[in-house]
Amino acid sequence: MDEKCTKLWQKLSTALKPQVSADTFKRWFSGLELVDATEESLTFQVPNNIYQFWIESNHMAAFQAAIVKALGGPRQVNFSSPAGTQSAIDLEEMGVAKELRIESDRQTKTATTLLGLNPRNTFESFVVGPNNEIAHAASLAVAQSPARTYNPLFIYGGVGLGKTHLMQAIGQYVWTKKKTSKVMYLSSELFINEFIDAIQHSNLVKFRKRYRQADLLLIDDIQFLGGKERSQEEFFHTFNTLFDGHKQIVLSSDRPASEIANLEHRLVSRFEWGLTAELQPPAVETRMAILRKKARILQIKLNDDVFEFLANRIRTNVRRLEGALMRVASFASLSGKELTQEVIEHLLKDILQEEARSSVTIEQIQKRVAAHFDVRLADMTSKRRPANIAFPRQIAMYLARELTKASLNEIGEAFGGRDHGTVLHACKLVKKRMHEQDSIRQTISFIDSSLQR
Amino acid sequence: MKFSVTKEKLLEGLQQVQNVVSTRTTLPILSNVLLQANGNEVHVTTTDLDVGVRGSFEAQVEKEGATTLPARRLFNIVRELPSSEIQVDIDGKNTASIRSGQSFFKILGLPEEEFPPLPKFENAKSVTIPQKALRDGLRKTSYAISTDETRYVLNGVLFSFKENKLTLVATDGRRLAMLDIELEFPRSHEADIIVPTKAVTELQRLLTDDGDVKVSVGSGQIAFDLNKTLLVSKLIEGNYPNYKQVIPSEAKERVTLERETFLNSLRRVSLLASDKSNSIKLNFTKNNIDITANTPEVGEAKEALPVTYKGREFSIAFNPEFLMAPLRNLTEDEVFLDLIDEMSPGVLKIQTPFLYVLMPMRISA
Repeated sequence: MDEKCTKLWQKLSTALKPQVSADTFKRWFSGLELVDATEESLTFQVPNNIYQFWIESNHMAAFQAAIVKALGGPRQVNFSSPAGTQSAIDLEEMGVAKELRIESDRQTKTATTLLGLNPRNTFESFVVGPNNEIAHAASLAVAQSPARTYNPLFIYGGVGLGKTHLMQAIGQYVWTKKKTSKVMYLSSELFINEFIDAIQHSNLVKFRKRYRQADLLLIDDIQFLGGKERSQEEFFHTFNTLFDGHKQIVLSSDRPASEIANLEHRLVSRFEWGLTAELQPPAVETRMAILRKKARILQIKLNDDVFEFLANRIRTNVRRLEGALMRVASFASLSGKELTQEVIEHLLKDILQEEARSSVTIEQIQKRVAAHFDVRLADMTSKRRPANIAFPRQIAMYLARELTKASLNEIGEAFGGRDHGTVLHACKLVKKRMHEQDSIRQTISFIDSSLQR
Repeated sequence: MKFSVTKEKLLEGLQQVQNVVSTRTTLPILSNVLLQANGNEVHVTTTDLDVGVRGSFEAQVEKEGATTLPARRLFNIVRELPSSEIQVDIDGKNTASIRSGQSFFKILGLPEEEFPPLPKFENAKSVTIPQKALRDGLRKTSYAISTDETRYVLNGVLFSFKENKLTLVATDGRRLAMLDIELEFPRSHEADIIVPTKAVTELQRLLTDDGDVKVSVGSGQIAFDLNKTLLVSKLIEGNYPNYKQVIPSEAKERVTLERETFLNSLRRVSLLASDKSNSIKLNFTKNNIDITANTPEVGEAKEALPVTYKGREFSIAFNPEFLMAPLRNLTEDEVFLDLIDEMSPGVLKIQTPFLYVLMPMRISA
């Protein structure tokens, strides 16, 4: 790595020298040391912070030009002070008035990590499938020509399906293409907190200025604005200012705008103004692709049947899928044991159970209960009601109530067109019997766990 | 507490302190002024917890005591009072009755105990500086303070006490102003401290041309004792960057300029510098500088300035505002501009130890 950095720095120096005067080079750039280089960023160690201040203020354009020339593309430039001064600064920061510190902390953070965007979240690392095609295409279109195509872009979808990934990808795409553009990425919660802070210290003007100057405003989890009336009003004006100024706005939420509780109509209608794109849970092929890509990035080597197993069993959530992959991979590398199906199942017990919980169907329950009590499946839906059939049927109804999201009516329908009262009665009865007889409780929990496996 | 005072004295007393009054509404007591009457004086104090000022005015005190009253409101009332004689009477519930001529005001205050006391400076290291020198020094440097809150160590003026010299430095990363004041103090008093902008601004208002100011540095705090008034402030904690790095070592060309003439020319030409590029160009030729500015689709301006110059012919561009700021704040008739080439920083100097480093702008071909 060190050698690579030295070489890179030499290359960069050669490109930089014609861009700045000899004195400037000697004074400001000869003291730099390249300590880390990635595809996205370069980190330089500076003798002390005046180097950073002065280079950032005066020589950044020349520096970036040299980077493009030497490395073929722009990089984010970070500076770090030597360890000694760093810790001194940390100590100093402790003493600074609280507000000032929070403020400056937040700002330095955004400055160095590119506005809090995770460099991993780019369009390249996003796996496109039929479930997210539209959202991806719309995001890319927005990133390529902000405020020209879809404004605002409203992305919604469940937990862990890539809303944040897409938003951050837009932010980074725009920022890398044009360094001068003001990209702001934040969660609606942060927006609300800053708004409250601004009211408290009566610097609303500054707050407004901050947001209304953005060229690209990305707000994550906008649903949290629901019920916050003043924040909504403030956001409404921010939205209008940006929209009228032809600035791009991208919003994400876990549900469609019209379903966000306590959100003013004028906001809802504005959110639906541009393009609304939904993210759906990925299909099994997409899940495979995601796993493969993730494994490549993390440099994990696993058998195809492991991928297949994971892709088949974990359906709802990409984040969970990646977590499971990490868990399996780290187990494999730590223990060195072979990954059999049983090992993986044991390893991912909790995840798989969670997954199963949401995917049990009434049919499965009926089958399993019928098999357990040795009655015919047809008896589950028949009108006959001797005790040896009626009780298993009631247990099945109870389990359907507990394990599926079906309503009383739907359950009754699935059990041969019974009405919801019957189902309710069955649930009550089973609960009562479970309470009274341990053996019944055990039987039911056995069926329950066998269903969820 | 009860006292009578002339309108002028009271106004003067309040004016010393009222700029500091906090605009934060979270702590109501901070928008109040503390009044303490004893002997034949009334002390007035305000603070926003970062900066505090204490002044006084002469009054006929009939009954000693202390209270706090809303500073802005009190000031506005006093300013409008019709007659010169004012009587202030405060009851046990911190309600003030103000009488003047036919007018009568009653305003509600808060108890003295709620007012945060100014920090004490016992065992602090003190240095005495002539007020005039410090005022002059701050005027010539403070305009270069950075307003960028992310670089909070630059949001103030560096007071560097070293080798019998007080060096004042301010920079915002594009320009740097520095000035030395000769002083005598023991070696043990050497220190580098950063005084925040607000304290610097207030201090400049309070400093006069006569007398001395006693500067005491405590832990994280500084006090400026101006005899009648006292200003205390928190210091900016952090290391001021190594500013010496910025100063060019040698100069190739030097040109002597009449400050006011140069400033006036710049001011005229800068009218046509656009907000966007915001630069003006200085073209050096033999015994002449052409100052030009042009904005596409607006127009251009040009002014020739005869000077004594025998060096190389070249052009350099600066941000006009950054070039005019020191010229406005200096008092000398003559200034020197030292340059190396079109890409290296320019340095503005005067006869006394002062310098101003300014980065050039890129000249687009």
